[in-house]
Amino acid sequence: MMFKATPLFAPLFAVAAAALAATPALAQSTSDTSEFAVIGNVPALCSGGTISGANATFDLGVLVNTSTGLLRPDLSAPSKVITGSFCSARSTINVDADAMAAQTFTATPPAGFSRTVHYVATASGWTVTPASFDTAQAVNSAATQSRDTAFTGDITVALSNFTTAGGNALRLVADPSYLGTVTVTLAAAE
Amino acid sequence: MRQLALVLAAATALGAMPAWAQDDTDTANVAVNGNVAPLCILGPPSPATVDLGQMVATSGSRIGRIAPLSNQTVSLPGSFCNFAGSAIDVDVTALVATDSSTLQPGFARAVNYTASVENWAATAASATSAATTDGSDPTETGTGATQPLPKIADLSVTLSGFSVPSDLLLVAGNYQGAVVVTLGPAATGGNE
Repeated sequence: MMFKATPLFAPLFAVAAAALAATPALAQSTSDTSEFAVIGNVPALCSGGTISGANATFDLGVLVNTSTGLLRPDLSAPSKVITGSFCSARSTINVDADAMAAQTFTATPPAGFSRTVHYVATASGWTVTPASFDTAQAVNSAATQSRDTAFTGDITVALSNFTTAGGNALRLVADPSYLGTVTVTLAAAE
Repeated sequence: MRQLALVLAAATALGAMPAWAQDDTDTANVAVNGNVAPLCILGPPSPATVDLGQMVATSGSRIGRIAPLSNQTVSLPGSFCNFAGSAIDVDVTALVATDSSTLQPGFARAVNYTASVENWAATAASATSAATTDGSDPTETGTGATQPLPKIADLSVTLSGFSVPSDLLLVAGNYQGAVVVTLGPAATGGNE
């Protein structure tokens, strides 16, 4: 009887051993993993940079042809470069300008004279189409241009197309200072 | 069903034993066996999320570039391994902007940092991410020294050395990274 029983134990142990071997796979994994997120943000930000050169003034010198008193047709001034500008997101560039006006002679000029010089200011380098503003125009739809990506680079500001307000047949009143301003604005677009 | 049949057969054999004994007293040993599985458990991270907030300087000469960010600490309290020879493995993934537009020259959209898991073994498990400017290849892995004994401890994860590839301007947006801490057998580098 006993000799017959013995073979029965062997398969029994084999079953038990198999069960033990299978246990770790069913139990919790030996190692544990924990994950935590690290987050932060960067705001949409624009910085105007600095204007290269000694100063930020377009000096046009004498505005008129001294023989005729009319606006010189060849007026020009070297462009100004704004360096170190950036926007960290989509942005718009806007250029705004005020016509050059006589600073001392502020009264209405007599017939045949003008105290204002119009011009076109353009800001290029930031957008495919440069932003431009014509002081002679009431509406300047090209003054604001936008780009879809963050950008950093030089902006070149140039003046052109000088004209006498009221028509180039008018003469400019004498004045020690004709003054206008050009404003370039970068804005992050949400 | 086959197993059940075998057990019944064994019980019958055991039950028959006393009939074979000749003495007044008999002794039988019954083994009581159990086992404890090797186990490592990490405590819940506190805080569960590290929020660095706004990461760039908004004025001064470094405007738009990363500001000095102080070290951050995450605790994993009551972490343990019940066996000898465990180690910690840490995966560090750089913070990368969710923005997916083409990266423009002069900009980066990744913030790298070092995560170091201390208070387990002789040397900390540490890794420093090395994402490129466009945020690719953001994950690095490190493994600490082996802890020769079963141990329970409050683990401390320190995040430090926040930096931007080439110190470029950062693109605006929300940034997300992650730290994965794994505690397990040292032979597999902390991973089972």
